[in-house]
Amino acid sequence: MTYRLAPIDTGAFVAERDGDHHTVIGSVVRRSDARGHVTGRTEFFEDVAAPRLAHLKMHRSARHHARITDVDVSGALAVPGVLRVLTHADVPNNVYTVLKLIGVEPDDEPVLAVDKVRYLGEPICAVVAETEAAALEGAAAIEVGYEDLPPVFDVEEALKEGAPLVNEYQGQNYFVYEGHHCRRIRFGDVEKAFGQADHVFEWRYQSSPIEQAPVETTGCVVVPQADGRLRIHSDTQACFFTLDNTALILGVPFNKLRIVGGTVGGGFGGKVDVVVEPIACVAAMAVDRPVKFVYDRAEEMQVSSPRAAERIVIKDAVMDDGRIIGRKVTLYVDAGAYARHSPYGTTKAAAHLPGPYTIPNVWADCHCVFTNRTPSSAMRGFGVTIADFALESQMDRIARALDMDPLQLRLINAYRDGDLKAHRKIAEGTALVEVIQKAAELAGHELPEAYRRMSSTTREGL
Amino acid sequence: MPSQIVSLVVNGERREFIAAPGATLLACLRESLGLIAAKRGCAQGACGTCTVLVDGRPEAACLVAVETVADGSVRTLEGVTSGGELDEVQSAFIDCFATQCGFCTSGMIMVAEALLDRNPDPSEDDVIEAISGNVCRCTGYRPIVIAIMEAARRRREQAVPR
Amino acid sequence: MAIQAVHVPESLDGVVACSARGGRIMGGGTVVMPQLTSGSTAVTELVSLRRAGLGGVEVRDGVATIGAAATLTAVGEHPALAFLRPALRTIASPTIRNQATVGGNLFVAQPYGDLAVCLLALDATCEIAGPAGRRDAPVADVLAAGIAAGEVVVAVRVTLPEPGAWHYHKAMRRRLNSAAIVTVASVTSAGDRRIALGGLAPRPVRAVSAERLLSGRPLTPENLTEAGEAARADIDPFDDAYASAWYRARVLPVHLRRAFLP
Repeated sequence: MTYRLAPIDTGAFVAERDGDHHTVIGSVVRRSDARGHVTGRTEFFEDVAAPRLAHLKMHRSARHHARITDVDVSGALAVPGVLRVLTHADVPNNVYTVLKLIGVEPDDEPVLAVDKVRYLGEPICAVVAETEAAALEGAAAIEVGYEDLPPVFDVEEALKEGAPLVNEYQGQNYFVYEGHHCRRIRFGDVEKAFGQADHVFEWRYQSSPIEQAPVETTGCVVVPQADGRLRIHSDTQACFFTLDNTALILGVPFNKLRIVGGTVGGGFGGKVDVVVEPIACVAAMAVDRPVKFVYDRAEEMQVSSPRAAERIVIKDAVMDDGRIIGRKVTLYVDAGAYARHSPYGTTKAAAHLPGPYTIPNVWADCHCVFTNRTPSSAMRGFGVTIADFALESQMDRIARALDMDPLQLRLINAYRDGDLKAHRKIAEGTALVEVIQKAAELAGHELPEAYRRMSSTTREGL
Repeated sequence: MPSQIVSLVVNGERREFIAAPGATLLACLRESLGLIAAKRGCAQGACGTCTVLVDGRPEAACLVAVETVADGSVRTLEGVTSGGELDEVQSAFIDCFATQCGFCTSGMIMVAEALLDRNPDPSEDDVIEAISGNVCRCTGYRPIVIAIMEAARRRREQAVPR
Repeated sequence: MAIQAVHVPESLDGVVACSARGGRIMGGGTVVMPQLTSGSTAVTELVSLRRAGLGGVEVRDGVATIGAAATLTAVGEHPALAFLRPALRTIASPTIRNQATVGGNLFVAQPYGDLAVCLLALDATCEIAGPAGRRDAPVADVLAAGIAAGEVVVAVRVTLPEPGAWHYHKAMRRRLNSAAIVTVASVTSAGDRRIALGGLAPRPVRAVSAERLLSGRPLTPENLTEAGEAARADIDPFDDAYASAWYRARVLPVHLRRAFLP
């Protein structure tokens, strides 16, 4: 058996080492945290020993979309060991949206449901108890009355006239971008391009929600301090973001909170939603004890926000020689019931269009749509990853339809330094041409001389 | 039945603690004994992060009611390090970049220890089967398999009596 | 109601006594403990078999008596049960096999419980103890109807198959540690061929239609495919995260064939 110890192949980076000046490239640098990991001494949030620790468990919605007619918590309060049952009335600023920190409006999500639930598993009541078992038993003993409302699960259904309204705070089933019903790109005239094209190709792409599935589930331990501050041990990937949002929800100055974090048992872009800390802080203040709120595996899979499902339709105007002269994209992001990071993810998707290609006519409508599904949010590369899947699948299909080499098709259309992109920015440091050439070489994929001579800094061969 | 005193030999030392009925071995190690290397990842035996050795064999500590192993012998990752010295598996995990977030590492190392105790010269397939109950979401497993093979090689070369 | 007591009796009599008082029997805990931890069971007392002396494997005159508390690892390590090793290696992980027991496997809902599928094919006998004394029951009855409250399976008895008479194949989503899409186990003795299926109904089932079709006929791909198609009459497949009911029924003939002609 052969294997190598060093994860970096020094052979491939000889030139980049520039003699011995760049000593890190091609060398092995030990991870600073590895010794802690292999000795078991790395302290994750749940490894914090907090005396008199109380436990929080949620009673969650059993409906996709319903009005709440009644909440009876008496069963929970009767369970031995239950300390408190929290409802929306206990949360100082119950309705929030995480991106308010960068100016996104409106506040559209309750920490605990008020009069309506908008997705299966939405938190309604928090039970704080001496033990995890008592908290679970208490949460199960809460009775909620529902009046069912018609749910909507499909982005295009949700945008139709007469569709059930998912989120009253938003007011319509789509996020409004500066007065527009979607995030848009308008560059050149795509309709004219379709008229001039030798071929018009239109295909549709669809992805499902993708769960980050960290091995350590989302959670926190909140420890009240002698000076009245709260110390939050969390596995969030976004410490400051969490601190600020939590303070706004609690209605306390930011300096009343301290976050201890940075050690994350797998995040994959997902642990950024500020979904456990605010209610755990409310609970810790209510019982004046440390409180732990950690998702169990089922909660992690069902209610932690996944990467959004997307639906993407791409229509291209293509010439016989492979030049794409127009690209029209209609993209839907399924935000689920609440905005969370999806307005931003949809903007990222728009920013990524039409892919790393110079296309003179581009039109895009990117919709951030509300449905009665689990709120989606961040996951590494969100907005971009699925768009790339669609864009690059589209490129391959065009190549196949034209009987062209897919790499040559990309080299013809790849953006060059100095090109004006659809967002009216000048492309700089593109390097896509060289990357394709190198990839072709490494893969043993032969390119004709003219394509090997192309460069991202000149217009040679175009 | 009230909580009772449970006695275990943990990492070679007899430890006594009070456990509520049905408390998991995992909860006792972490909360009563302060041994936090074993993690709770799923609480249903599916992820392997809580793996410890019970009487020399790997078991998912989240599935063990502590009463059922009373007076037994338990080995955790804390017991692998001796006098601040890393063993071959631990050092190979560092050298081969077999840890990223670190959450699965404890369980991975414990199944590797059990494997190498029984089979000093495992094949790659043996290693893959041994860790098949342990989920790692970061590495893609390859560096972990490499690290365990490397640890086996180092251990054979040094012929460390164990 | 949280758990009130975990009994760890050191004899079978102790197990029966605790069980008669309403305690739930627990083999390795791989099924019961997650239910307990997640609060999804109302059970208040557990009776562990771990120390009851039921973990042994004895082989005499071609018959193996496997204690109900024998772990799947222990079964695999017994030389006389080597024919079961490939099947055992398809069940969970080595770690879980150190905990999961033969007895527990009988009470697991499909698509888990592949060993129970093997035992059904082997026409195993369950030795059962209860307040009223001991009795034997065919494993088929235990799988179909369970046992009475207060009873406990003490051991399973199987006649060891002749060399070459044992066939096993499990289709799963991964090469290791994954539940059954389709499990096929079969044993031939004195011309009588028994075929048991897993992953295709809430409990392991006999593929009697396939057995009938194959009776007295050679194991050709055509005959096996025909038998697999006939076996669709014997199943009641379900949807889960591993596969749809439709898919399970669709691929059954393929995997039945592969069990005999890998």
